[in-house]
Amino acid sequence: MFRPGDAYQHPFAVTQEVYDHFQRCSQDRNPLHTDEAFAREKGFPEKVMYGNILNAFLSYFIGECLPTKDVIIHSQQIAFKNPVFLNETLDFEATVSGVYEAVNAVEFKYKFTKPDKTIAAKGVIQIGVLA
Amino acid sequence: MERSEVIEKFNVLFEEVIDEGPVSLTGETTAADVDGWDSLTQIQLIVAIEKAFDVKFTSEEIVSWKNVAEMIDCFLTKKRTAE
Repeated sequence: MFRPGDAYQHPFAVTQEVYDHFQRCSQDRNPLHTDEAFAREKGFPEKVMYGNILNAFLSYFIGECLPTKDVIIHSQQIAFKNPVFLNETLDFEATVSGVYEAVNAVEFKYKFTKPDKTIAAKGVIQIGVLA
Repeated sequence: MERSEVIEKFNVLFEEVIDEGPVSLTGETTAADVDGWDSLTQIQLIVAIEKAFDVKFTSEEIVSWKNVAEMIDCFLTKKRTAE
């Protein structure tokens, strides 16, 4: 079902609705994410979107975009490279980087690319394929 | 690769994967002897060994191991066959 090199793509838009829902879920109202003036004072052009919105997108990718629903996340790593701003659409790409049949595990390397082609974040996810 | 070298390298990998302090593997060590060596960690250990040493196990081999010595026997058989 999974082979090394298999690639998956999906666009993810950081909309006002996504931002609002994530804020409600996390209860994080740090001013970097909520106060335009504070964000500008810290050197950003506008308020910075929550980095962990991208983890929610990863959840969608694993849960909804793979050829099977019989999956569970074992581990995930993410490194944030550039800030994401409201209404940006990120191009997500994940590639199968390892298949471990003995333990029904699959590893993906992934990246989120911003509209200006810089990397917003990248990392590795390992999933288990449920019997 | 000699058995003593394998156990030394596995020890380093186990410490990295389990991440709960020093590990002192011997041939008689089982999962019950190592804090943090649970079923999910077992998966991570197998993935780490396969990645680090370019070896592939089967699920039948893994469930047959009774201790670290049997894991290393299996590992060495595969590495020597590949040479």
